[in-house]
Amino acid sequence: MTLQIRSKTRLRRAGWGLSHALVWVYVLLVLIPLYFLLISPFKSNPEIFNTPFALPQTFRLSNFVSAWQNASLGPGLLNSLLITVGAEILTIVLALPAAFSLARSTTRLSAVVERLFLLGFLIPGFAALVPTVLFAVRLNLLYTPEILIFYFAATALPLSVIVLTAFLRTIPKELEEAARMDGAGWFVVLLRIYFPLSLPGVVTVVLLNFLAFWNEFIFSIVLLGPDPAVRTVQVALPDLTSTTGTQYGLLLAGVLVAFLPPLLVYAFLQKRMQSAMITGAVKG
Amino acid sequence: MTSLVIEEEKSTMTPSAHHGAGRSIDSRRRLRLRRSIGGLAGTVPALAWYLLFLLGPLLGLFWMSFYDQPGILADSTFVGINNFTHVLGDPAFRIALINTVLQVTFLVPVLMIASLLLAYYLHRKPRGYGVLSVVLFLPALLSLAGRSMAFVAILAPKPFGLLNGVLEALHLGFLERAWLADPRTALLSIIAVELWGGIGFTAILLNARMASIPFEVEESATLDGIGQLGMLRQIIYPMLRDYFGVVAALQLIWTLFTSAGDVLLLTGGGPGYASTNLAYLVYNKAFLQQDLGYATTVGVLLFVAGLVGALTLRAAFKPKY
Repeated sequence: MTLQIRSKTRLRRAGWGLSHALVWVYVLLVLIPLYFLLISPFKSNPEIFNTPFALPQTFRLSNFVSAWQNASLGPGLLNSLLITVGAEILTIVLALPAAFSLARSTTRLSAVVERLFLLGFLIPGFAALVPTVLFAVRLNLLYTPEILIFYFAATALPLSVIVLTAFLRTIPKELEEAARMDGAGWFVVLLRIYFPLSLPGVVTVVLLNFLAFWNEFIFSIVLLGPDPAVRTVQVALPDLTSTTGTQYGLLLAGVLVAFLPPLLVYAFLQKRMQSAMITGAVKG
Repeated sequence: MTSLVIEEEKSTMTPSAHHGAGRSIDSRRRLRLRRSIGGLAGTVPALAWYLLFLLGPLLGLFWMSFYDQPGILADSTFVGINNFTHVLGDPAFRIALINTVLQVTFLVPVLMIASLLLAYYLHRKPRGYGVLSVVLFLPALLSLAGRSMAFVAILAPKPFGLLNGVLEALHLGFLERAWLADPRTALLSIIAVELWGGIGFTAILLNARMASIPFEVEESATLDGIGQLGMLRQIIYPMLRDYFGVVAALQLIWTLFTSAGDVLLLTGGGPGYASTNLAYLVYNKAFLQQDLGYATTVGVLLFVAGLVGALTLRAAFKPKY
């Protein structure tokens, strides 16, 4: 009897040991491409091909310089930054009053409106890729940064409104009533009471949208086009394969530069970013 | 913004102004409605914006699938259901459909099961938990274009690619190939890259949900002598089932739609049509072959497939009580 139990526990322990091994094999599979991406930009082509896993012998920056010139990464980064910031601001400006209204209202109509925003999760933007482009043509905004800012804000709105509404509901009503007694109007209540208290919620939404806006590819290429003067850095990256062939150090230098902003934000705001991304996916 | 403020002030003013007048029930109801609309004035810009840019093009999609349009700036002509008969009879569409079915039926189950196991492993708070959760997060931060370009370098043919070099070093040289250009491995490579990008984050999502399961439930099961696999199958998974279905439905939709970028950047749909799926077919027909009628028709079919698939998955994972 005891022997049986002991062999059973031993079997279980072996099984658990196996899962340790499997998980760390998986970790290795995740890390090797990232390691390769991190070190290759500092190496020459022969180094990359002959000793792919060795650390660079000298930290050469020539790949970064060439990538910068070949794919005009500078303008690309600047365009990405402008579009990301623009879309972030537009999203918050539109989403905050909406969330403010929804959080305070308890009527049947507000439930319907909230459901309308929830419906937005079901709309896969990509299916409507072609009509979106034609709509941009109609607006006379195709290949302008404005259209991408407008479109990004629209895609981010449903989630941003829902997350912000949920957050604003946690703010006690008494605060607003007190301010109202003191004669504060709608806008003052929003700006002076709700906005400061909702900042953590706003940060969540901003982080979530930052990643989506900065990393977006398909709509960036069709709405903004491949012209080096206006394109985003993500659209500039694939250009490095066509202009440089198999210069992988150079290609990965470009990738690493475009990867840095999300990586830095994550490094500084790890916990916040993690919870933001979990919130974002859960609501979907 | 000013007009909103005025509207709002008006609506808060009216009730007190009319209060003592002893109005009929009907006008009071109308008043309440007006008040509730006034209170929702803040939602109007956001709602209008998102309906205009998201719902508008979606409705346009259905409309356009009945028109023929040879290019973005070209005129369109009504062709009835011709686009549908043309698309459904097109061999390229059939290949893309088969590839999409293959991609989804392989990727979604593998991703979900691997993520579930990984999430449960994390749930046990093993040694190295902190490092692990950071590592699992990293691929989700890398953009689609960045990830694709990194794997273009990794999966490149001899003597350049990292994978082929590793295989040779491991005396597995017979496996070497041009992964992205070989018709037998092109689609498989795309799936592998998507799994690389997706498993860790999905695991973290499932893990976050596991953390909300009451501690006592697991404790009593442990006292009953349940094993790790038994715990996952009989205790954790049943409590997670509904959410698992939600995430699976999301993964299905993400795979159906966002993989257009992966295909475009990794293989360009080739060689031939070997790795063309429906999402990439939309892009290819619209922007490379200038056949917008065809592209929107595939878009309609893809939208319907995504909706039906996601709802089916949701229903299949509904809790059984």
